[in-house]
Amino acid sequence: MKKFIPWIGFAILLLVLPQVFTSILSISIFNQMAIAIIFALSYNMLLGQGGMLSFGHAVYFGLGGFMAVHAILMVEMEEIVIPTAFIPIVGGIFGLVAACFIGSFSTHKAGTVFAMISLGVGELIASSSLILVSFFGGEAGVTGDRTWGPELFGIDFTQDIHVYYLAAIWMFISVALMYLFTQTPAGRMANAVRDNPERAEFIGYSARRVRFISFIFAGFFAGIAGGLFAVNYEILTEENLNAATSGRVLLMAYIGGLGFFIGPVIGAIVLTLITSLLSNYTDLWILYLGIMFVLTVMFLPRGLTGFLMMHRAPWHLGKLQTLALPYTITAIPGMVFALSMLAMLELAHAHESFAFLGIPLDKESILCWIGLTVALVGSFLAVRFTLPSLRAAWVEANAIPQRITEDEQDASAGGVK
Amino acid sequence: MSILTLKNVSKQFGLAKIIRDVNLNIEQGEKHAIIGPNGAGKSTLFHLISGRYSVSSGEIHFKDKPIHNLDPFEITRRGLARSFQVTNIFPLLSVFENIRCALLWSTGYRYSFWQLLSKQKGLNEKTESVLEQIGLYERKDLPAGELAYAEQRALELGIAIASGAEMILLDEPVAGMSHSEAKAAVALIRKVTEGKTLVMVEHDMDIVFDLADKISVLVYGELIASDTPEKIRANPKVQEAYLGEVVTQETAENA
Repeated sequence: MKKFIPWIGFAILLLVLPQVFTSILSISIFNQMAIAIIFALSYNMLLGQGGMLSFGHAVYFGLGGFMAVHAILMVEMEEIVIPTAFIPIVGGIFGLVAACFIGSFSTHKAGTVFAMISLGVGELIASSSLILVSFFGGEAGVTGDRTWGPELFGIDFTQDIHVYYLAAIWMFISVALMYLFTQTPAGRMANAVRDNPERAEFIGYSARRVRFISFIFAGFFAGIAGGLFAVNYEILTEENLNAATSGRVLLMAYIGGLGFFIGPVIGAIVLTLITSLLSNYTDLWILYLGIMFVLTVMFLPRGLTGFLMMHRAPWHLGKLQTLALPYTITAIPGMVFALSMLAMLELAHAHESFAFLGIPLDKESILCWIGLTVALVGSFLAVRFTLPSLRAAWVEANAIPQRITEDEQDASAGGVK
Repeated sequence: MSILTLKNVSKQFGLAKIIRDVNLNIEQGEKHAIIGPNGAGKSTLFHLISGRYSVSSGEIHFKDKPIHNLDPFEITRRGLARSFQVTNIFPLLSVFENIRCALLWSTGYRYSFWQLLSKQKGLNEKTESVLEQIGLYERKDLPAGELAYAEQRALELGIAIASGAEMILLDEPVAGMSHSEAKAAVALIRKVTEGKTLVMVEHDMDIVFDLADKISVLVYGELIASDTPEKIRANPKVQEAYLGEVVTQETAENA
């Protein structure tokens, strides 16, 4: 029973969110998040769980999406009858078919070979999408109208909130299924093959077959995400299956944390917020995204989730509160550093004077530059100065109180032998 | 009845002939050791039998069926398991998962994605019994990569035997262990391979003569002798080629 609690909580959260954040903007962000979460989790089936670095995962998202938008069009033309609520499954099936075909040769090896094939196939599909106009619609893309579908329970998808509930349901089901997959023999062997493909062969499993299974499921769920995208935006273009989209899903999974099931979910939420909110304020948001990625790779190799999980040991030892003060002391100059860096970048980019956090900045004024430089260097030095004490506090918070317990454990383990 | 037969097996990499015309018969239930100086091709021979390398010429038969062109996983499925000289485990998976994965194929789960592992009671009990057998039950939740060296070796052995294979190849099972660790490992090997056919490569002569009831000597890719330990000790060709004075002295002392 206990293991159902997070899932019930998750379902309640999905129901409550649109009641709390009712604006059109927040509903549209939630819809993007739901799509991003499915997409990022499907990507993690490859990279985090299967050890396959893909640079072309948007192919399955995009192909699924295009198929879904064509299905919407066919419903519109009254050629077929599919309730709009089931359109994402069309995307999923098409993603699965595409993954079966491409996976049949690309999963032969992991590592560089797989990465290069995924890149090549991704580029191939993206560029042919501009040529095969009848299916991909060229540069204009393909548009449809979701409201033509037969109504289910009186929902006609004329409002974004309808799409929200649809996306939430599909997301909940997809997340649950992808989680369950990790608990099956095929899912566990995907981890084993990631760790050591050679040994996996010596316990009776074909590493290639194991990868293939993960790969087609990843394609299926990416297709579902694409299908939801089609329902949500009613348009698909080349942009949805090109390398930029493939890169973005990699960023989501990586920044969130590859080693954890929840990691890509967090990454998808954070990145969707950055893309949709930050882009309202600055043209440089994509630069900040890049910086964030580099910093994550350098300092948090296990992603944001990994960073949170690092605190499990101090928490279990009941010493988490001892970290609060050292964190604050380092975080204050850290924030100043980040903000002054931000201000400098914005200032360099700006065409006219503007206010940053209420402080008027002028590109022409030498004083502005000097002030920012001083703040930047000063806060950097302050961070350097406070880091050792943070580090010491960290070590202290992680220290196991009595050494004796460890020895006792060893002794008892030895006794059993 | 012989379980494994090698007929004129050769392996060459480019011009280098690593294994030359090896003929070998291993009987069911036998404990067979392969010895030889460094670079004699012992590990290569293991790789040929277990399918990691393909043979250049010759045939390998396991239970009267040819296995020399099969992939490693197909050979494993027929009941021939192996361990590695360099520890070859799943480092990020827990110790428990390492053993459970090794059990999956032989217990018939294949590539199932419709069964939840946590619900497979029989499988999980079997995993725990293997863990108890190799003495790692207390460590079962630790990532395998964090185990101590001797424990990793025990896990390596556990993965090899978990599937319940009839024949087990062990490549230097006690390499790099301290004396007491090696002693414990030998006792473990004896225990877990009971009633099974065992072929091992080992450098430690005490262990070889202790465990094996038949010994083959490989020198420069050629099998120069394959016999009982007593006869191997007495074989002048072996003494000259490999065992050298140590064994000669020992035999003198024993006599």
